[in-house]
Amino acid sequence: MNRSAASRPRPHSRKAGGRRREEHCKTEEKADDVAPRGTCTTMCPISEVRQREAQNRLHHFEVLAGTERNRLPRADVCRAVKEYSRPAAGKDTTRASELRPPDVLLKTVCYLVDDVAACPSRQPWTEVYSFVFDRLRSVRQDMVIQRVSGPECASVLERTVRFLLYASYRLCGQPLRLYDPHINDTHLQESLSWLLECYSEGQHQHQDEFQALSLLYNLGSPRALQHALELPHKVRHSSPVQLALALNRAYMERNPVRLLRLAQRLDFLQACALHRHLLSCRRDLLLLYSHGHSSRNCRFPIQKLADILSLECSLAAQLCQTHGIHVNGDYVVFSKGSFTESPSEELQCAHMHKLVDDKQQDLSLSNIIHGIA
Amino acid sequence: ERVTALFSQVLEAIDTRDGVFCAELLSFKHPHVANPRLQLSSPEDKCQQVLEPPYDEMVAAHLRCTYAVANHDFVEAYKSFQAHKEENWYVSCSHCLRGQAEQQLQKKGKGKVGDMLEKAAEQLMSCFRVCASDNRAGIDDSKKWGMLFLINQLFKIYFKINKLHLCKPLIRAIDSSNLKDDYSMAQRVTYKYYVGRKAMFDSNFKLAEEYLSFSFQHSHRSCQRNKRLILIYLLPVKMLLGHMPTTQLLKKYDLMQFTDVTKAVSEGNLLLLNEALAKHETFFIRCGIFLILEKLKIITYRNLFKKVYLLLKTHQLPLDAFLVALKMMQVEEVDIDEVQCILANLIYMGHIKGYISHQHQKLVVSKQNPFPPLSSVS
Repeated sequence: MNRSAASRPRPHSRKAGGRRREEHCKTEEKADDVAPRGTCTTMCPISEVRQREAQNRLHHFEVLAGTERNRLPRADVCRAVKEYSRPAAGKDTTRASELRPPDVLLKTVCYLVDDVAACPSRQPWTEVYSFVFDRLRSVRQDMVIQRVSGPECASVLERTVRFLLYASYRLCGQPLRLYDPHINDTHLQESLSWLLECYSEGQHQHQDEFQALSLLYNLGSPRALQHALELPHKVRHSSPVQLALALNRAYMERNPVRLLRLAQRLDFLQACALHRHLLSCRRDLLLLYSHGHSSRNCRFPIQKLADILSLECSLAAQLCQTHGIHVNGDYVVFSKGSFTESPSEELQCAHMHKLVDDKQQDLSLSNIIHGIA
Repeated sequence: ERVTALFSQVLEAIDTRDGVFCAELLSFKHPHVANPRLQLSSPEDKCQQVLEPPYDEMVAAHLRCTYAVANHDFVEAYKSFQAHKEENWYVSCSHCLRGQAEQQLQKKGKGKVGDMLEKAAEQLMSCFRVCASDNRAGIDDSKKWGMLFLINQLFKIYFKINKLHLCKPLIRAIDSSNLKDDYSMAQRVTYKYYVGRKAMFDSNFKLAEEYLSFSFQHSHRSCQRNKRLILIYLLPVKMLLGHMPTTQLLKKYDLMQFTDVTKAVSEGNLLLLNEALAKHETFFIRCGIFLILEKLKIITYRNLFKKVYLLLKTHQLPLDAFLVALKMMQVEEVDIDEVQCILANLIYMGHIKGYISHQHQKLVVSKQNPFPPLSSVS
């Protein structure tokens, strides 16, 4: 594979630059250095399998069936996956036998998606997430060290981003010790920026999809918007990007009614990307209406409010009450004086997922992450 | 005159993208520094007339240095400053030169230029720290005088690589400095230009107007280019605050792209606004003001709705009337619910005094000044 020498990928993602530099070995700094090329043909280098086996550090997803209760469980070589390891002084991360080349990396990702993440018998999903998250991180680490770029890099990153987006929705509301949305977000943003940088050269089949996902996930971000405005004409005018831009415009104009209406048109994954902004959009609607409809004789029908909020009536009523809006049977009374910002602990985003839930229908997780939805 | 000869050498170096030679010209290694006719105390104006930024400032700085050194006024402090940091200063400036040259040569190599600019920024930052922490010398000889120049260079880079948040600590440094009003006007104009743009980005429009206006008013009269550049950012801010530019002004500074936008906003003509934004999209996006101009939509709604109010001559306006107005402006897929939301937002922002009655499907406005003047609304 002569590609890596001829077309050196550029260091990317200024935001995560510090972290990524950490993961480079020191010799990388020399201008004429050639990127290491991996030769490991398995998902986990044999040396690591043996080591972790001997130290009883196998994950139970990697253990050979029947040996779980042994003092030292045996590794199932077909299911062991290289784990992420923090770079440290003296640790050589560039040994070719321990690096997986791009085709093996893609196979690894497919295994993680099809046989772990999408496997219904693996429960709880928080544990599945932790495992896949870590192993995907290791895949990215191998890509960084080998300076993989172009379509091979994009294929891996696309699946990573879809997985992390899905997770951000599915695990929303889980206790912090099981799932940390902030950590998920950091890795998601990093992978997304890297992916968008891959797209800056050459043609990519899924570019429209991911430019749109980036705009939705980063709703209202001037940086994401400016980037989108500077995209090539064809990408910018593709329907996913146009829809994402329309949603952003509605957000910038502070028209949550329009935003929530446009959100109906999103597909499942797009809705996952947008979902973390939904609660604040709904809250904003209530704030604007509290001011705009503020009058003594105000009687705003709950059903109508529920419709524009894309919520069921009972949830709409609950949301109102949380924000100090008086609910009177079938009506609410808006008053600018009584609206309160403070979010209640009880009503969380996770209770209001129906808008997103409904879109999943019978899509398999596997198809969602591979993009065959 | 030797100065013009120097200028033409610098210009030639810039044109031929010879970063190395240019840097050499601006360093103390070149023999011309001994020439008394080049030792000018205030060369800024001459430089601004002949050279484009950032070269004008760099050459001006260089010429000021030659003057100072020749006069022995600043001898020890200044010389040591030059000897110590000169290498870095001019090396990083030549990095910038190369960076900009390369930018023109390879539009594709976005990554590379960004990295070079970041490296240049790092070096400038270290120079800056030396200047900022210079507490030894007396105020006349202090390295602190170099601060604003360096900050302006850093701003330039941060804006180019789109990392505006890095401007904040620099702004704080100047705000807390007792020298801030004593730097040269040229430097202060540049500084306020960038800080004004940053304020725009932070949606702090009143502050942005203050800074950009200062920059515009104090810009050198002969510097049409600079004034035009400042105006590109000042105009949208003023429009958001309700002040429309005259066609005369736009003609004078060759900014006719704004005429339709201005007309559309003042008339409440959403259709024309959308068309105007689309027509000059490339220009607005390149300048980074497209997103801000879109904010003018809210002002346009307000102006349109005011027309509806004036037309119907009543304080209880049917919501349907607004819907009709929007549909006439060919706003896509708008319905009564959205109309309510737009109105609610205008009321929330203080652009309309009144309330919406959902039961009666009406907007009830105050009998007194229901559409307060734009300049009075924050």
